[in-house]
Amino acid sequence: MSLTYPRTTAAVAVAIAVAWAIASGQTAPPPIHFTYRPIDFRLDSCETPRRHAPETMAGGVALFDYNNDGYLDIFFTNGADIESLKKTSPKYSNRLFENDGKGQFHDVTAKAGLAGTGFDDAVAVGDYDNDGREDLFVGGVHGNHLYHNDGGVFTEVTAKAGLTAPDADYGPLWTAGAAWVDVNNDGLLDLFVVNYLAWDWKTEPSCEAAPGKLDYCHPKFYKPTPNQLFLNQGDGTFRDVSAEAGIRAHPGKGMGVAAADYDLDGLMDFFVTNDKMHNSYFHNKGGVRFEEAAFNAGVALTEDGKFISGMGADAQDLDNDGLPDIAFAALDGETFPLFRNLGKRGFADVTRAGGLSRLTLPMAGYSPTIADFDNDGWKDIFVTRGHVQATAQSKVQIDQPNTVFRNLGGTKFQALTGEAGLSAIPPARHRGSAVGDLNGDGRLDLVTTALSAPAEVWLNDSPGEAHWLEVKLEGTVSNRDGIGARIQVTAGASLQHVQVSLSAGYASSSAAPAHFGLGSATAATAVEIRWPSGTVQELKNVAADRLIRVREPRPREQ
Amino acid sequence: MVPAALRFVSLALLAAQLWSAVPEAVAEAARGAALAKEGQFDLAIQHYQAALRLDAHLPGLYLNLGLAYFKSKRLPEAAAAFEEAVRADGNSFQARALLGMSYYGCARYAEAATQLKLAAQAQPDNLELRYTLAQSYLFAGQNAQAQAEFQFLVSKNPDSAPAHVLLGEALDASNQPDAAIAEFEAAVKVSPAPPDAHFGLGYLYWKQQRYAEAAREFAAELASQPQHAQALAYLGDAEMHTEHEKEARAHLERALALDPKIRLVHLDLGILAAASDADAAVRFFREAIRMDASQPDAHYRLGRLLHQQGREHEAEAEFEAVKKLAAEEPPPPLIRLPGRPHP
Repeated sequence: MSLTYPRTTAAVAVAIAVAWAIASGQTAPPPIHFTYRPIDFRLDSCETPRRHAPETMAGGVALFDYNNDGYLDIFFTNGADIESLKKTSPKYSNRLFENDGKGQFHDVTAKAGLAGTGFDDAVAVGDYDNDGREDLFVGGVHGNHLYHNDGGVFTEVTAKAGLTAPDADYGPLWTAGAAWVDVNNDGLLDLFVVNYLAWDWKTEPSCEAAPGKLDYCHPKFYKPTPNQLFLNQGDGTFRDVSAEAGIRAHPGKGMGVAAADYDLDGLMDFFVTNDKMHNSYFHNKGGVRFEEAAFNAGVALTEDGKFISGMGADAQDLDNDGLPDIAFAALDGETFPLFRNLGKRGFADVTRAGGLSRLTLPMAGYSPTIADFDNDGWKDIFVTRGHVQATAQSKVQIDQPNTVFRNLGGTKFQALTGEAGLSAIPPARHRGSAVGDLNGDGRLDLVTTALSAPAEVWLNDSPGEAHWLEVKLEGTVSNRDGIGARIQVTAGASLQHVQVSLSAGYASSSAAPAHFGLGSATAATAVEIRWPSGTVQELKNVAADRLIRVREPRPREQ
Repeated sequence: MVPAALRFVSLALLAAQLWSAVPEAVAEAARGAALAKEGQFDLAIQHYQAALRLDAHLPGLYLNLGLAYFKSKRLPEAAAAFEEAVRADGNSFQARALLGMSYYGCARYAEAATQLKLAAQAQPDNLELRYTLAQSYLFAGQNAQAQAEFQFLVSKNPDSAPAHVLLGEALDASNQPDAAIAEFEAAVKVSPAPPDAHFGLGYLYWKQQRYAEAAREFAAELASQPQHAQALAYLGDAEMHTEHEKEARAHLERALALDPKIRLVHLDLGILAAASDADAAVRFFREAIRMDASQPDAHYRLGRLLHQQGREHEAEAEFEAVKKLAAEEPPPPLIRLPGRPHP
């Protein structure tokens, strides 16, 4: 009997400790969390033991509303037979999945006419003819395709649009990315095409990672190729203005493009990552003339002057100072660089200063996408991870989980992988990624692809009741998608900016509505839209937790 | 252990061999041995070589010749002599161990490891031998084997800080930074910590960009070695990256005063000066380039600074230097171009 009291005390103490531990865990949930949902698509790049370069570079994905029913649909690019570059089997088909609004995705590829024919990598969404229906540009190895949206059914118009001519000097090109942007503010979306490197199945070198073990060759073994700019003529055709615009003179090994008006002069510029070459920064001087100014702007290389494996890129305002900053992915040992926009003074590499360098040093990534995943008013960076190589070595982690870097208020980040639910499935060689609110709950979801593996849908179920606002633009004088518009939202003490651009990360295209996390604010006190046409539109006291559609006023309507 | 009966057989064989040897050769070899005992190795070598000319099969002659070369630090010749000794008697522990040591001394680490491993099989508890074997593995890039050897040494000497340091180095070379750090942490717990143990631990943290922890370890090294210029340099660098610019500058300037040849100090002082004293920054960057023009960092930073100063031609020259370095940079060593045609 004498032991009863102490024993009970001890038991109570243990119970309290356990309960406290459980409670502690419950009261500190991860700030960003995703739940995996499968989707019936497997990326097949025809990976062979020979390890031909395109086999490791597939995987673009797009989120867009192809039938204007208000729900985001998913389009996946896919590979082809590596020798013929033809889709010789249904397993290579590109796929379009329609969102029924009830949580299900249905394959409508055949009905939409989007199965494709070649080895496809990149996808860019844009309403190039301003008819209110999103069109698709699909870029790939030695063949690009333009699909016009006729109303849920697509017609290939590549030849008619004038996008089929092979390059006179470089031959067939390999497109790894693209962006629809109105470079001259004439209200028509032009097409910027990022080309990777000169590749030929017949003459490609063989490279070994270990004796007898072939792996993908270093980019040094291939020649660079130029990017392209096609000017929209307004009649369904495009004119290649790459040379006269000053783009063609700067060939590279392009992997990603982040289009933004970096210097806020009203003209869209292009930042292009290159693989083991210095990045390119095409500053728009007006009159469809660009100057390549990466070194002077401070975005050519990381601060230590290293030539790294620039992969996909994205640009948005991460520190809420009104200027779009640049994030891009690279391989292990190279970090995922972050360039802070200093305005007229160019950019500063803040990767190390902000701690992102240390977090990302062991990682290899492909597709960064910048968006506010926890609706706290600070945009985060999601990166698909996975190595370019296929052979495991002691220093190389081939399959990797994805990671979201939570913005702690500017340029400092917290890496969330398992905590964010992203280790729920085995690691993989992830490639493309696209962001959008798939289920209309105000939290941004993700779709990612992985080589020789199923695609992944990541539904955002982050805790908390932070408020949000989505702004879907409809240009009238400006391009219909409002690409290039600068949206400023004031909510409480927070001031945020989004530049509308659909091209995202690696080879991918994100959903159009501009998304703003409002934190505890239940309304935006002001929403200011600076259209590419120069029109400035302001909305006052916009209630939170909804998507608003904003039509650009015509001059007589103002 | 050699059984007694076998030992008798061996001695009988040796006697029989000597019995059949050329007497003049035996006399030359004996003179050589006497001179070697007096430390006159060059003369000893001459007599051994004379003996060899008379009778190349004289037992033990190559071993003694090799030893004389070894003692006179003529390691390639020593290795050649020991190779012959091993060829004559593959079971000789001495010959194999000395051959391994000679290879090690000649920086032929993979061959050293092969011989020392065989020798270690005969004397597994010979820790000096195992230490050299472990080092040979490490320098030959055979990291897994190096780790195993150093782990054995640590198990034999758990309180030996140098053993922990060496195992840490092996783990670091195998790209196991966390395990390497654990070994260095064990090393610095031994009191007093061996010289450079805190510095080594700090350097591992620094490589992982764990600058606050790195700074703590560099400071600990400096507590016992205040004139450690490298520790000052890296401490300054770590402080610069943790936004302690005032302290960084002070430590870097002290490092510069102690040793003006540390490139990192010039680079960092250039970075720190860039915001307030561009001319000084230019000088520091130029000095860093002068010390090692093959590193792109100083070229790139100098180019950006010159551009900000409007010195476009000079800036362009630095940017071109960066591009040239990149063009000349070979692909990673693990990826090569066999140039084989397609099947």
